[in-house]
Amino acid sequence: MLGIRRISNSRWWHKKKNWLFFAIFLFLVFVRISKGAFYKDFYYFISKPFWPGQFQKEIVLESIDQEYLIKLNLLTKDNIRLRQILSLQESSNNEHISAAVISRKTGGWWRQIILNKGSKDGVEIGNIVIGPGGLLGRVKNTSLFTSSVTLITSPESKLGVWVDRIQINGLLVGLGDDYPSLILYSKDADIKVGDFVSSSPASTLLPPNIPIGIVQSIDETLKSKKTAKISLLAKPHVIDWVQILKVNI
Amino acid sequence: MGTNFESKYLMNKFFTKKLSIISFIFIPIIFLWHPNWLGFLGVQPYWPLFWLLPWAMINGSINGLVFGLFLGLILDSLTLNESFTQIPGLIFCGFFFGRIKSHNDILVGHFRYGLICSFGSFLCGTLYLAQILFRNFSDGNFLMFIPGVKNILAEVFLTGLFAPFICSQLVRMFKFSRRKLW
Repeated sequence: MLGIRRISNSRWWHKKKNWLFFAIFLFLVFVRISKGAFYKDFYYFISKPFWPGQFQKEIVLESIDQEYLIKLNLLTKDNIRLRQILSLQESSNNEHISAAVISRKTGGWWRQIILNKGSKDGVEIGNIVIGPGGLLGRVKNTSLFTSSVTLITSPESKLGVWVDRIQINGLLVGLGDDYPSLILYSKDADIKVGDFVSSSPASTLLPPNIPIGIVQSIDETLKSKKTAKISLLAKPHVIDWVQILKVNI
Repeated sequence: MGTNFESKYLMNKFFTKKLSIISFIFIPIIFLWHPNWLGFLGVQPYWPLFWLLPWAMINGSINGLVFGLFLGLILDSLTLNESFTQIPGLIFCGFFFGRIKSHNDILVGHFRYGLICSFGSFLCGTLYLAQILFRNFSDGNFLMFIPGVKNILAEVFLTGLFAPFICSQLVRMFKFSRRKLW
C-alpha cells in the first residue's frame, strides 16, 4: 500500500515545479502569438517619463517648416520656369506694396476698402489686393495718397476662378453679402462642400493660383449651371494690413 | 484789441450761420468711417438721410431735392459701384422730406423722424437693389441678389433707430443758425 502511494507521488503532474514551468511555457506561447504586444504595452508605460519633451517637438516642427518652405520655393521656381516655357500668364512676384486699411465698408451694398498707398507709391488701377488668407479685391481707383479697392463681395465684382479638385473654371459673383456665389456653367460639375477655389489661370484680371475661398454650400442646380456659396479665406472686416500686388497679365 | 474782438465775432457769426453747410461736409466722412461697432449684421445706418431730413424740412422741397442730388453725387464718387447710383433715392427723399412740417408735440416729433427716415432708407435701398437686379437681369443671375433684401431691412432698422436722436439735434442746430444774430 505504501509502495503504491510512493509510485503515485512520483508522477510529474504531482510536482508544483512542473506546473510552474508549464505556466511559463504557456505565457511564452501567448507572447509569441501576440507578437510581444504585452511587452510593448508594458514598455509604453515604463518609458513614458523618458519620452522626447516639448523642446524636441518644437525642433522637429521647425525642421518640418523649413523643409516645407524650401519645397515651396523650389516648386514656385519650377512653376515660374514652366509658365515661362509654356508662355502662360504670370504675376511679378517681387512687386508687393504693403498698405494699411484706412477706411472699410464691408457691410451693405457698398463693399470697399481704402488703403493708405496711392499713385504716389506706384499703385495702379487693376492691381490685386491680397490679405492674410488670400484675395481681397482689385484696385478700382487711385488718388495721390490713397487707393480704393472693390472687394470680391461687392455686387460689382465678377472674377474668373478655378476649382482645383474638379479642374473646372467658374465665375465668382459678389452678391452684397459675405458669401459670394460661384457659378459653374455645367450642371454635371461634381462640386462638393469643402472644395478649394483659387484664381483661374484663364482669368484676364488676376494672376493664377491666388487662394480665394472654400465651397460652403451648394445651391439647387439650375437649368444649365450649378451655383455654390463660397466662404472667403481672407476676412476683409478684420484685416488691417494688406499687400498690393502688381500684375503683368 | 478791438480788431481781435471783431474778427472773433465775425468767425463766430460765420460758423453759426454756416452750421448746416459745415455739417454737410461731415456726411461723406462718416459714410467712409463706417464704424463697425455701430452696425447691425455688418450694415450701417443710411447716414445722408439724417442730414437731408432736417435740411429739407426747414428749407423746403426744392432745396431738399437739390441737396439730395449733391449728396448723391458726392456719395457716388466715394463708392466704387459705377453701375449703380444713390442719386434717384436721395433726390426723391429730399423732395418728399421737404413736404413734411415739424410736429408740435416734441415726443411725437421724435418718433416721426424715426419713421420718416426708415421709410426714406427703405426707398433708397429698394431703388438701389432694383438697379442691381436690372443690371443682372440679362445674365439670368438676378435671383441670386434677392437675399440682399437683408441689407435693406438692417439699414431701415438702424436708420429708424438713430434718426430720433440725430435729426432732432440737427433740426435744433439748423433753426439756431437761421435766427437773426442782431
